[in-house]
Amino acid sequence: MSQFVFDPTKVMDIDFTQRTQYLEGLEAIKAAHKVLKEIAFTPSLPDKGYTNRTLYVNVGTLEVKEKPVTQQMKDVFIGGRGFGLWHLWNAVKPTTRWNDPENEIIISPGPVAGITQYAGTGKSLVVSLSPQTDIPIDSNVGGYFGPLLKFSGFDALEIQGKSDRDLIVFIDGQKGIIRIEEAPEEPVDSHVLAEVLTHMYAENEADRVNISVVCTGAAAEHSLIGMLNFSWWDLRRGCIRLKQAGRGGIGTVFRNKRIRALVCRGPQVKGDLNHVADYETIAKTGVKYHKEIRENDPHQCMMRRNGTAHIVEIMDAYDLLPTHNFQYGSHPDTHKIDSQYWQSRCTQQTVDGCWYGCSMACAKGADGLEVKTGPYKGHTVTVDGPEYENAAGLGSNCGVFDPDYLLELNFYCDTYGICTITYGTLTAFVMECYQRGILNKERTGGLEMNWGNAEADLEMMHQMARGEGFGLIAGQGVKKMKEHFIKHGWGDPQLINDIGMENKGLEYSQYMSKESLAQQGGYALTNKGPQHDEAWLIFMDMVNKQIPTFEDKAEALYYFPLFRTWFGLNGFCKLPWNDVVPSDNAKQPEAHKIPEHVQNYVDIFSATTGIKIDKDELIVQSARVYNFQRIFNIRMGKGLRKDDHAPFRALGPVTTEEYLSRQERYDKQIADEMGLDPTAMSLEEKMAAHRKWRQGRYEQLTDAVYKRRGWTPNGVPTLERLKELGLDVFPEVVDVVKLHL
Amino acid sequence: MRQLRIDLSKCDAGRATCQHECESSCAEKVFKLNDPAMAALHIRELADGSGQAVLCDQCGDCVVVCPTEALSRNKLGVVVIDKKVCVGCYMCMGFCEKEIFERNPQWTEPYKCISCGICVKACPHAALEMVDVPQPPYRIL
Amino acid sequence: MIHVNGDAMEWKEGLTVREVLVRRNFRFPLLIITVDGELVQPKAYETTTIPDAADVQVVHMMSGG
Ligand code: SF4
Ligand code: SF4
Ligand code: SF4
Ligand code: SF4
Repeated sequence: MSQFVFDPTKVMDIDFTQRTQYLEGLEAIKAAHKVLKEIAFTPSLPDKGYTNRTLYVNVGTLEVKEKPVTQQMKDVFIGGRGFGLWHLWNAVKPTTRWNDPENEIIISPGPVAGITQYAGTGKSLVVSLSPQTDIPIDSNVGGYFGPLLKFSGFDALEIQGKSDRDLIVFIDGQKGIIRIEEAPEEPVDSHVLAEVLTHMYAENEADRVNISVVCTGAAAEHSLIGMLNFSWWDLRRGCIRLKQAGRGGIGTVFRNKRIRALVCRGPQVKGDLNHVADYETIAKTGVKYHKEIRENDPHQCMMRRNGTAHIVEIMDAYDLLPTHNFQYGSHPDTHKIDSQYWQSRCTQQTVDGCWYGCSMACAKGADGLEVKTGPYKGHTVTVDGPEYENAAGLGSNCGVFDPDYLLELNFYCDTYGICTITYGTLTAFVMECYQRGILNKERTGGLEMNWGNAEADLEMMHQMARGEGFGLIAGQGVKKMKEHFIKHGWGDPQLINDIGMENKGLEYSQYMSKESLAQQGGYALTNKGPQHDEAWLIFMDMVNKQIPTFEDKAEALYYFPLFRTWFGLNGFCKLPWNDVVPSDNAKQPEAHKIPEHVQNYVDIFSATTGIKIDKDELIVQSARVYNFQRIFNIRMGKGLRKDDHAPFRALGPVTTEEYLSRQERYDKQIADEMGLDPTAMSLEEKMAAHRKWRQGRYEQLTDAVYKRRGWTPNGVPTLERLKELGLDVFPEVVDVVKLHL
Repeated sequence: MRQLRIDLSKCDAGRATCQHECESSCAEKVFKLNDPAMAALHIRELADGSGQAVLCDQCGDCVVVCPTEALSRNKLGVVVIDKKVCVGCYMCMGFCEKEIFERNPQWTEPYKCISCGICVKACPHAALEMVDVPQPPYRIL
Repeated sequence: MIHVNGDAMEWKEGLTVREVLVRRNFRFPLLIITVDGELVQPKAYETTTIPDAADVQVVHMMSGG
């Protein structure tokens, strides 16, 4: 069979309403709050998707003010990630670093966000200068905060400054109050804090759905890989749920500013709060899409049963599941963590959308987890049923195939406030260093970081949360660990650099790009660093062989990053685009782009804002922001060709074991592609030939992509490209480019 | 659980001897809408002259997918909507296999049959009836 | 001999689309399959036989996070 069949009788019998509660100390915690500032504002609802106001809060000076959202901002930057980047650009200097007070965290939902009729329309985009990369990072996150912020009256929340005490910023969109409160007694970790604050700020039980909390956890304070949790109230379970703005360390910035939490209390949500230009079109498109999910999801991806974990076994079958720090692409134990297991482990008889109207409902939850280690040992908790990235990153990539430990790792990443993808990749690196003698028990302070040692893995995470031991070093991320290990002479620098999977300072997410040149570019030729949300081209390139030439690959690396950027401008989720397809999709021209869904997006944008666009204008909208972000990177000292290089593990086999595991493929390439005779070569010679060939191809790809994107061979957007996009109206932007031409 | 049933051998399907009183009474009396097309049931005439009925059987699928618990069963087991908490996401509309839900451009909340029996009384041919049947088990959707 | 996404594969009489998928371990659910340019619907994977020398394209839709 091509796919597992869902069997409802196999779903474990777990009471999804039972878990450890943390409300006992609530009154005392609340009593310790001290109001530092309170101001009134006039709540307002959006008009055609925009409220036309930004809320600026300086947590250092306690300044709170409203700023207008200008027509130019809407025309050029649309919203969401675009607004975030624009505010950040204006806030920082080229010398600003993540922990300077002028660094900001901007949260903006985008004009479409908050409609309830189409799947995946509740996203917030978070932008900040990253502690890991020193350039802007952007993260697309679910939960109710963004829509509730907008329905309170703001298209974006801009947070600047640094406090000297722990704070909560409370935005009450029902009463029209913004309050900064000192919060000295708050619990630290997210699953406790979000629950306590939801109960504290809701005026009654029915009000809980109107509260969303943004917070992080203990490990964000002691590492550079902190993430932000965005909550929503899960009615059926009767508990808070969390979605993560994971990549790049925004949670670290948050705690560096001494923010404990942001709390928004919005008005009760109704179907038309976004006051869209053409409600009928959105309603019809939404119903059509829900029907498509009902009819097709059960025999396509089964997102409603598995979430994104449905591809665990698929990646394994295609030799693409990152295993043992991206050395191999499959493992005999994968069946223990495949989707058949997760669909029996996750609660199935509930509603798992991270915003209203998401019929794709991938936010699966695993209830009734008994925690075995750490400060919550013995507690019963609800944790997200692992997304693919977590199953692969915390699981196969570290050799952990015990599903309970995997859930526990996932739980602690979430509640401690660290990015699961980053943690997975950096732990895989630590484990490989341990295997190869770069690390040993002495250097790790006693942690035996063998493949699959989940207890040591968890202990490293607890150390990160306590701010001690080897956990502190690991929490600096792969890039800084590489520097540290090399400085101490712990191993061959080239090997360390080859196997440490980071680019621009950000860890790779969980796909194997070795055998797909296009995906190598999809990872390293990105704005924020190697995250698959710009382009996922492995099937197109390596399996379908649809994009054989450099120009074909460059075209894909032009179109898809721009197409996917657009989701972040508007507050869309990417999954509903391609994790279900219409029944007649195969008959459409350019079927791989899923034309009917692209048209849905065009229609929804037009119907929300009243601005008619088509699918080409959609790409132009993204291109403005994408190129602006590239120039922002250059302004901050990155974003040139040298910063787009990939570690060799992402391009090809680093070690003899890796070579031998795919010897047939690699030898054939030597004969067919390089015109050499592999039988006359030693293993070392063959590996050297591959390195040269693969690096050469990557450079050729880079040339082709830069050309297609309208960039110079050094990766700088040209003045013509700026004019074409209308970015030449910003003299500062032009100045950055001119310095590099 | 109260369920609306039809005997298609009695129903005239609107050929000559009835005015679709079922639909007009539902639209007017239950939902105060002056348009039989807005009723929560539909009786259609097929090309071969036979009738086809679109009736809610109170299966409860829409209750399963509703994110706000706006849909629930009342004491009689009938699926009813609480407009106060409905957020107009229309997942109920998309997931109802019988396509019962109607939407009126004036409201963001959809509506559905409440097994009230007004149509039963209105039908001149006594084709409709209310029956009491066991509630079907909860489905995973 | 047939070609599947450009790679040669041995042919036998009565070879079905499903057998090709199994042989290549193509387990992904979102596929667009053509045999000599003719679209094959998923319900017909078991019943569609592939002629010798055919060009089979098994296009995997995009996936991934
Ligand atoms: S159910 Fe009765 S009123 Fe309705 S169409 Fe049939 S015969 Fe006419
Ligand atoms: S409206 Fe549809 S889904 Fe809901 S109870 Fe009636 S038939 Fe079932
Ligand atoms: S439209 Fe209202 S009743 Fe229907 S599923 Fe959504 S919230 Fe529930
Ligand atoms: S039972 Fe009532 S609500 Fe249902 S179709 Fe008949 S009149 Fe309409």
